[in-house]
Amino acid sequence: MREYIFKFRFVFLLLVASSAKVSAQSFKFLIPDQAIVQYAGSIGYFSGGVGYELFGNKKGNLDLLYGFVPGSKGGVLNIATAKFGYKPWTIKLKEWGKIYPFNPAIFATYTFHKELSFKFPSGQYAHDYYYWSEALRPHLAFSSEIELDAKKLLKNTGIRAIGLYIEANTNDFYLINYLQNTSALTVTDIFQLGIGMRVKF
Amino acid sequence: MRIFLLFLLCAAFAGCNHFEFSPNQTFDRISLKDVNATNLKRLGDGANDDTVTFVLTGDSQKSRDETVKFCKAVNAIKGIDFVVLAGDITEFGVLKEMLWISRTLEDLHAPYVAVIGNHDETARGKETFLHMFGELNYSFVYGGIKFVCHDSNSREYNFNGQVPNIPWLKNELKPSPGIKGFVGISHVPVNSEDFDSKLIKDYTTTFAQTPGFLASLNAHTHNYDLFYPDDSGIPYVITSAMANKEFLVVQIVNNKISFERVYF
Repeated sequence: MREYIFKFRFVFLLLVASSAKVSAQSFKFLIPDQAIVQYAGSIGYFSGGVGYELFGNKKGNLDLLYGFVPGSKGGVLNIATAKFGYKPWTIKLKEWGKIYPFNPAIFATYTFHKELSFKFPSGQYAHDYYYWSEALRPHLAFSSEIELDAKKLLKNTGIRAIGLYIEANTNDFYLINYLQNTSALTVTDIFQLGIGMRVKF
Repeated sequence: MRIFLLFLLCAAFAGCNHFEFSPNQTFDRISLKDVNATNLKRLGDGANDDTVTFVLTGDSQKSRDETVKFCKAVNAIKGIDFVVLAGDITEFGVLKEMLWISRTLEDLHAPYVAVIGNHDETARGKETFLHMFGELNYSFVYGGIKFVCHDSNSREYNFNGQVPNIPWLKNELKPSPGIKGFVGISHVPVNSEDFDSKLIKDYTTTFAQTPGFLASLNAHTHNYDLFYPDDSGIPYVITSAMANKEFLVVQIVNNKISFERVYF
């Protein structure tokens, strides 16, 4: 049965691919809406990637980023990030821009390093010896963004707007530490900052 | 105005050390370095101290609030020469946890040293510990007693037969002038399943054959215990975890060791 479905899908894909016009339409959603660069923010010394605007109202955002931490900055680390954010509020600034004052986001990072495993090896440890993953980290974040309208400033470049944002994030490790020690640790201890720029096409 | 405020906010944040590159970075711009060496320098050699008194604690892990109380309790005791944190300083082996715990421990009047625990060896903890505290196997002499601190977290090395490092221990436990007694300090006790079973005999024999070997001090199990794995008469003592609000005061006078359980 599974094989049959697989074959069916394959045929379906062939059909889609055979019509250039249809494929151009179907795969348009793969073209990103934004290019992103970010400094710090727990996903690399510097990171870069693409962003997709989600939903009809475009208030959702999916970012896919790759970050790097060099040895001189406590690495060497390679980090892949998938971030889902939402912009519930917008403040209009005359003609030239907008402010998204408070945008919650969740993101997951996967850090590539020989000392970091997705799962602790089962031969070495009993099932519940360590209960977390070293390489995969869930994060919670909040950001503020100012968006500058680029249509007038940068004519004929195809750039719609430029967004500058600052983001505070924490992760499961820090949250567990904080929730069990609310007098020795403060919220500012566990939230870490990053700044970035989105170029919107 | 709003942009100005945002800019001001950025500038304020930029002033502090909150721009993190990764939870897995082994150091950052202002993280501490060589804490053990710095504190041991402060401790001195205690050449004129005939009563060596120190605190043994361990497994601070997620117990930061308790660590604040611990510092107050230790500071209230007179005559404490130093404090030993016998491993599992962190839960997840990350830099921030090590920084947070040392920020609290800086309130101690007496200098402290840290010994590596199994949790501290997860993720990039070993490298982070090396950078921030120092060597995983090290020793120091105070009041004529040599304290041999070592890594006994065998499971973290998948029981490769190298941890604890017996040849290193044998070398450290050689008699030398000016040293009256020896104390072994490590995280995982010899009777734990996390200790390399192939090395138990060699380990206890090494201690038993060392003239003036006073005790083996450990943590890891989170509960106080005193046991004798062989007939050498050497006590193996386990301190309670920070979370249990209990620590040990260890005193050595005339090469006689005694232990007192203190609750806080």
